[in-house]
Amino acid sequence: MSRQAKRGLLGISLVLPSFLILVFIVVLPIIGSLKESLTNDGGGYDLSNYKFLFTDKLMRSNIIFTLKVTVISSLLVLAVSYVLAVYMRFNNGFAVRWIRRMYMIPIFIPTVIATYGLMQLLGNHGWAARILYHLGQDSFPRMIYDMKGIIIANLWFNIPFTTMLLGSALSSVSDAVIESAKDVGAGRLRIFWRLILPLTYKTLLVAVTFVFMGVIGSFTAPYLVGPNAPQMLGVSMEQVFGVFQDRQLAAALAFFTFLLCSFIGYFYVLSMIKEEGMRRS
Amino acid sequence: MLNKKKALSLTASLVLAGAVLAGCSSDKKAESAADGGGNSTSAPAAPSTEFTFYYTGSQNVDDLWKTLIPMFEAKNPDIKVNPVYVASGTAAQPTYDKIMAAKQAGKGSGGVDLYESSIDDVTKGKNDDLWDSLSDGQIPNLNNVDQKTMNDVSNLAVPYRSSAVVLAYNSDKVTAPPQTLDELYDWIHANPEKFAYNDPSTGGSGSSFVITSIYKFLPEEAIHNSDPSMESQWTQGFELLKDLGKYVYGKGIYPKKNQGTLDLLASGEVDMIPAWSDMVLDQIAKGQLPASTKMQQVTPGFNGGPTYLMVPKLSDKKDAVYKFLDFTLSPEAQAEVVNKMQGFPGIKLSNMPQDIQESFKGVSEGYRTFSLGDLGKDINQRWQSEVAAQ
Repeated sequence: MSRQAKRGLLGISLVLPSFLILVFIVVLPIIGSLKESLTNDGGGYDLSNYKFLFTDKLMRSNIIFTLKVTVISSLLVLAVSYVLAVYMRFNNGFAVRWIRRMYMIPIFIPTVIATYGLMQLLGNHGWAARILYHLGQDSFPRMIYDMKGIIIANLWFNIPFTTMLLGSALSSVSDAVIESAKDVGAGRLRIFWRLILPLTYKTLLVAVTFVFMGVIGSFTAPYLVGPNAPQMLGVSMEQVFGVFQDRQLAAALAFFTFLLCSFIGYFYVLSMIKEEGMRRS
Repeated sequence: MLNKKKALSLTASLVLAGAVLAGCSSDKKAESAADGGGNSTSAPAAPSTEFTFYYTGSQNVDDLWKTLIPMFEAKNPDIKVNPVYVASGTAAQPTYDKIMAAKQAGKGSGGVDLYESSIDDVTKGKNDDLWDSLSDGQIPNLNNVDQKTMNDVSNLAVPYRSSAVVLAYNSDKVTAPPQTLDELYDWIHANPEKFAYNDPSTGGSGSSFVITSIYKFLPEEAIHNSDPSMESQWTQGFELLKDLGKYVYGKGIYPKKNQGTLDLLASGEVDMIPAWSDMVLDQIAKGQLPASTKMQQVTPGFNGGPTYLMVPKLSDKKDAVYKFLDFTLSPEAQAEVVNKMQGFPGIKLSNMPQDIQESFKGVSEGYRTFSLGDLGKDINQRWQSEVAAQ
């Protein structure tokens, strides 16, 4: 066997275990649920479950609601995290030291406990309402059992990790680059748009992928603080599967959620391939 | 260099082989587990019998059995109970399916020797011929149980405890609680956003409110009818619920789980909710609900009723299970039901100690037993699209 072939074989055998795990844990279940989702009541195969997904008033509003929550949450998380990360990168002092110490805390608090905490804080008779009441404000907007509650919960769960991700990307932007840009007379905004953003763009994309997928499939917070209708897809899926016991429809919902995620994943992979291509050439 | 490479590829192939084998072995394990149920029939009787008990419910049910099982085992050292707790809600259905599937596949009772569930599973199992018929010959303490309740289930199940949905209210705010269903609806209209019931698909108390409201317009005997033809008569009830939506908490917010509404009552956001009597009593005792919380049953009553224990017909450990059931129905075990989870005893009150008899005067009356079979699922589905999403 030639040296080349041996190296090739070694490469394949190194990749094979993870490839097989991927096949058994991800690919086969997806194919299984696709098949399940195409099964109709009579046992035959057709698109009736998907048709129901997009024609039923309730299901349609669930899908729209989920997309709204996901897009708003992702944008807010990115904006807040980016500002926080940039602030921590280019400033120093008391405030930054404390933010650095504290911002990771939410990662260590279990989802259920954090959600109940939020309910205590933002509920109609919660702490926030009581404090405002003593400050002379006697009306408090509805946060719990509402879209706002889910978005706030998503911010809590996603900002720490995203900030960490963006923070590490920003720390790899070298001071020398920024100094030299300043030397030739670039303003702050110009440095940000021309240097910092392009240099961290890829990590930003990774962060979007993580937040988007995390939010779209979330269950605990939407279940506990979300409205009864419309629901997020995760909650609806549980209800359709567990309560209505309509396995085919639940599979269709799951597959549709998977499609939404792979849509975002597509852009991520695309940019990775582009990057790789640039390095080659 | 070559050695290193060899070592690498060896490791890689070992990992691969390991992964493949792991896949196979887990299959084998599953098979042998399934065989286990069948094999033990032919095996000679072991000196100690171990049987498997599947039960479902809220945490308080698990706590109860964790108390009762050691008590039983201390008295019967030759019998070991293997408890399997499946969390309430979605998990009960798979257990029933497991027993049914094992029967159809000719594999005995699927490793389930005793099963706890509601009246709906008793009825379903009656039609599928799954449950063993029980008599006081095998279980002497069955004599303690009200014969009427046993007739209702054709002796196929043991009603070992019961609970009822009642109105729980804050007596500081509500001085004259509603006595009838119609008075309750009037109260809800007169006190907007001060009443809440939970999403019926997430807990029995909300479900009871919904079912009672729907069957209010139907003849009395309809609550025992699980025929899908009844569904056409639900419309009036759903109209009522839709209309109530504007007057309940948050103009149409239905918290999740039985506990969701209890939390609202505890924080003073609402003044009245439907709730399980055992949960209310328990939480008043623990100080989780204010002491001003009181309970009231309306007429016609919300649903309630016993929780049943069923023995799968094909179980091969029946003798041990009978002994366990006999113990469960003893006054000693029933006292735990009362003390531990504030439930109503499953046996006739006259068999209970005097002080317990006193404490239950009038409380355990007034509930109705609904058996709708699979119709409950359809009610939840229709509620979700018509009431929640209106």
